[in-house]
Amino acid sequence: MFRFLIRRLAMAVIVLLIVSFTTFIVGHMTGDPVELIAPENATREAKEQLREYLGLNRPLLVQYTSYIGNALQGDLGFSFVQQAAVSDLIMERLPATLKLAFTGFILSLVIAVPLGIFIALNRNSVWDFLATSVAMIGQSAPNFWIGLMLIAFFAVHLKILPVSGYGGVSYIILPAITIALQSAARLTRLMRASMLEVLNADYVRTARSKGLRQRTVLWVHSFRNAMIPIVTMAGLELAELIGGAFITETIFAWPGVGRLAVNAVYQRDFPLVQGVVLFAATAFVVINLLVDLLYVLIDPRVKLS
Amino acid sequence: MSVLRRLIPGKRDMLGTIGAGILLFVALGAVLAPMIAPYDPTAISLLDRMQPPMWLEGGSLAHPLGTDNLGRDMLSRVIYGSRISLAVGVAAVIVGAAIGSTIGIVAGYFGGWVDSILSVVINAQLSFPFILLAIFILSTFGGGFWPVVLVLALGAWVNYARVVRGTVMSVRTQDYVHAAISVGVPTLRLLRTTVLPNTLSPIIVVASFSMAQAILAEAALSFLGVGVDGANPSWGVMLNDGRAYLQTAWWLTAMPGLAIAITVLGGNLCGDWLQDRFNPRIGN
Amino acid sequence: MTLHTPSRLARQLMLSSAIALSLAATVPVAAMAQDNETITIASANDITSLDPHMLDSNHPTGSVIWSIFDSLVRRAPDGSTEPRLATSWERIDDVTWRFNLREGVTFTNGEPFNAEAVKINMERMNTTPWATVQQLHDQTGLIEVNVVDDYTIELVTEAPTVNMLYWLAEAFIGAPQYLTDTAADKVASEPVGSGPYKLDSWNRDDRLTLVVNDTYWGDAPDAETVVFRVVPETSSRLNELRAGTADVIVDITPDTAGQADSDISEAVYVEGLRKMHMGINIEGEQPALKDIKVRQALNHAVDVDTIITALLDGKTVPIPSIVNPPNNNPDLAAFDYDPEKAKALLAEAGYADGFPLTIQYSTRFAGGKEVSEVVASYLQQVGIEPTVEAVELGQFRQMLSGSSTKGIYFMGWAALINPSVELVILTCGHVDNSSGYCNEEYDALVHEAAQTLDDDARLALEFEAQQTVWNDAPWLYMWRLPVVFGKANNITYDFRADNYVEPYLMTTE
Repeated sequence: MFRFLIRRLAMAVIVLLIVSFTTFIVGHMTGDPVELIAPENATREAKEQLREYLGLNRPLLVQYTSYIGNALQGDLGFSFVQQAAVSDLIMERLPATLKLAFTGFILSLVIAVPLGIFIALNRNSVWDFLATSVAMIGQSAPNFWIGLMLIAFFAVHLKILPVSGYGGVSYIILPAITIALQSAARLTRLMRASMLEVLNADYVRTARSKGLRQRTVLWVHSFRNAMIPIVTMAGLELAELIGGAFITETIFAWPGVGRLAVNAVYQRDFPLVQGVVLFAATAFVVINLLVDLLYVLIDPRVKLS
Repeated sequence: MSVLRRLIPGKRDMLGTIGAGILLFVALGAVLAPMIAPYDPTAISLLDRMQPPMWLEGGSLAHPLGTDNLGRDMLSRVIYGSRISLAVGVAAVIVGAAIGSTIGIVAGYFGGWVDSILSVVINAQLSFPFILLAIFILSTFGGGFWPVVLVLALGAWVNYARVVRGTVMSVRTQDYVHAAISVGVPTLRLLRTTVLPNTLSPIIVVASFSMAQAILAEAALSFLGVGVDGANPSWGVMLNDGRAYLQTAWWLTAMPGLAIAITVLGGNLCGDWLQDRFNPRIGN
Repeated sequence: MTLHTPSRLARQLMLSSAIALSLAATVPVAAMAQDNETITIASANDITSLDPHMLDSNHPTGSVIWSIFDSLVRRAPDGSTEPRLATSWERIDDVTWRFNLREGVTFTNGEPFNAEAVKINMERMNTTPWATVQQLHDQTGLIEVNVVDDYTIELVTEAPTVNMLYWLAEAFIGAPQYLTDTAADKVASEPVGSGPYKLDSWNRDDRLTLVVNDTYWGDAPDAETVVFRVVPETSSRLNELRAGTADVIVDITPDTAGQADSDISEAVYVEGLRKMHMGINIEGEQPALKDIKVRQALNHAVDVDTIITALLDGKTVPIPSIVNPPNNNPDLAAFDYDPEKAKALLAEAGYADGFPLTIQYSTRFAGGKEVSEVVASYLQQVGIEPTVEAVELGQFRQMLSGSSTKGIYFMGWAALINPSVELVILTCGHVDNSSGYCNEEYDALVHEAAQTLDDDARLALEFEAQQTVWNDAPWLYMWRLPVVFGKANNITYDFRADNYVEPYLMTTE
């Protein structure tokens, strides 16, 4: 257990280093942030001064090491465009992102888990066919398009929900549904498949042949085991959502980390982009670690080393 | 129950056939575009701006799916759009599969530290917010067909590497491979004759899913303004262009979106079907 | 000093009668009063920074800074100059301006406003990083700030300039001690100024709230609270205006503006000042563009009037010169749409079979893509083979300042009324001269005009310069960018073409 943790942590650190380095290099390949920061009619000398002030004329490796050094102390740099500390900017948006992520995530679990079990138990029924088809289509349609169509119908046509923005409960409905639909489609299909696999597994058949009641078999043996792949998948989904639902947040003008990141990319706000990527990757790595630990709780047979 | 059970492969095959049919239909549309599209998709007619589809009031048979904000025929644009979207999908699959399989074979066959490095890279890649990386790269270097294909391949190669690596590792333990190694068959030849054929079916399965994924991702990137934007736009670009007119002309957004959804559905159905055939354990 | 304070009993009596009065008021009146106290302004983008010397865009960042801070002078919508923190000014010689400052002004943290405060602010403006964004020194050649006494200051420039007042209007004065002692990120998020409003709260990417500054030296504004909200989608802003949840909306396009008209709201069109054009890069990839006849042919090939009717709802006019009215040379006329003449000119120049031409645009201006595609289709009709290309904004700006665009590019310059600033853009090697145009005769005229203090003589020189550049056609001339706002009917305000919105000048009824 301890060794497993150490190994996973070492892996996490290496991964984060690769992630930060890649972002750093890509960000500095072309495109000059000074051109975006300075006004259109700024003189060349003024731009050169700014470049120097921002440290953009130092060798790349020097810039990178100083960045990592600061990051280790919790300082993710300073966004020149917004004149604010990157970590502050991320923390400011985090509540909105968490709110949307958890609402969407819970919504999708509430849909997917019961539905997946239901259609697995009623395999090849009309319900199965309907639900799998809808899930299949849900998985195939671009979710930003679904978001736009939801806006067109509920907000523009029926005018019962706000088009976009951040505010009361009514504002979260459409973005949460947009997120939940896609994720629920994936999870329902997985839940169904995983449930079927478990139901056909030898030990469940044995249990059945021993005459255990159907309900006991279902809950004690099948459900627990069927949940294992779901937990992994759901963990991945959640990690991605916390990193920011980039497009959904952009469409719905949701003031979260995702929109912060997209805007930062367009504004060529390097420190901010790097900060968000590092943040999203960290969230991802940490949640995965938690999911691994959760395995132990669900399935004691999983050996950790 | 037994009757139903016998129906399973039938239903599976049916869905697979539908999927293949959709893809074939879209591919035909792309190839035959100049013959079936009623108009030049780039012909601008400022006086015919934003006409609704024919079944709405104000629509006409002349433009069955209406016209866009510059008076171009939507139907023709959707047909031509399939060229870009499919081409991006296919190219991304080829590039991604080539890179991913090569790395997967090398890692699986040689194992050891090569394999360890691979798993670190895979982990790093999987913890990257891909869309963010993609818009970051594309907004830095500029969009366009090949940049988008490369970025999509960059996102997809891991999937190939993982399956191929697994297959290679299991092939390697087979007796005939051991025998071949012991009589000194050159490594490259060994890879070509024994390993490669075995990895083909998992590659095909991954390819059909990742083609669907690539089309979706291209749409998302174009939607964010960093996609394939040329004289003949992709569906994603059309979607993005129509967004400003959601209130007045929803069909500018709805039509290309529908085209994407249908095509991706085709790819996913095919993928499911192939997976069942090659790997019957899953799903059945 | 002792203040007579009312007894506790008296205060209670006053309070209860106030309550009685307010209870007696009818509900509608109360509701209206409530409504009038807050003005909500919805814009597409968020405010970037509240550092007074980091003002990088007119709206919304600029609008908020104009509300929190004062500059020495205000630039009126017509381009004239009004007093603000300076009460009067005079030129005492060619290079020296003297300003008399307003007395009795304090910043919201209690610091007094005086000549020293101006000096400290101007020094900060000339320091990196602020110097890049804040252009007072670069644009006016300001070299010295002299404090004459507490309320008199002199500004000395390197050479005579006619632009001092123009740039002073955007040189904002913050509380000097606070600016000097405070960390940059705090200055940018907790501004201390002397303007009509002060910051109440700011949730980035969502909303920024201003409340009235009780110690403001001028007339108290009508609205006690002003909320700047970020609503990126145009259709959402229009919906909010129609629903009454936004009182003013900014950044709407002419072809959607009609949707702003409702029972409670209306669209406001302001004659735009920004001169939109396709810049023609003479130094670009296509050598044909070096030929003046080719450039004129491009101007004859595109039907600007029809584009204005179709894409801009007819809400603007073709530009009459590269200088905005009222300073434009009235003898100049827009190139007429005449594809035959365009073909003839191309043939004369030896390009009867056309040539490949790249049209570039960026996200800088809404509709860049549509305009580029339409221009491409017109150019195709005279035999040119155009390709339309989107360029990422940062790269686009880099291309502009390095004159390295490929062929022609969609751009708009100088949303202002100041012939000297407008003309200098096209002089040889100027940082904004993205078309690589260079005509020494033109340069001589422009430079002479900029140093000519006699109005009539200067105007004559400027007219001649306009004539020269117009025929040389370094641009494919298009239109003045229409500026459209949406506003609630109960708001009265003289909207500005430069997009600044000044809530303290809005009256509500």
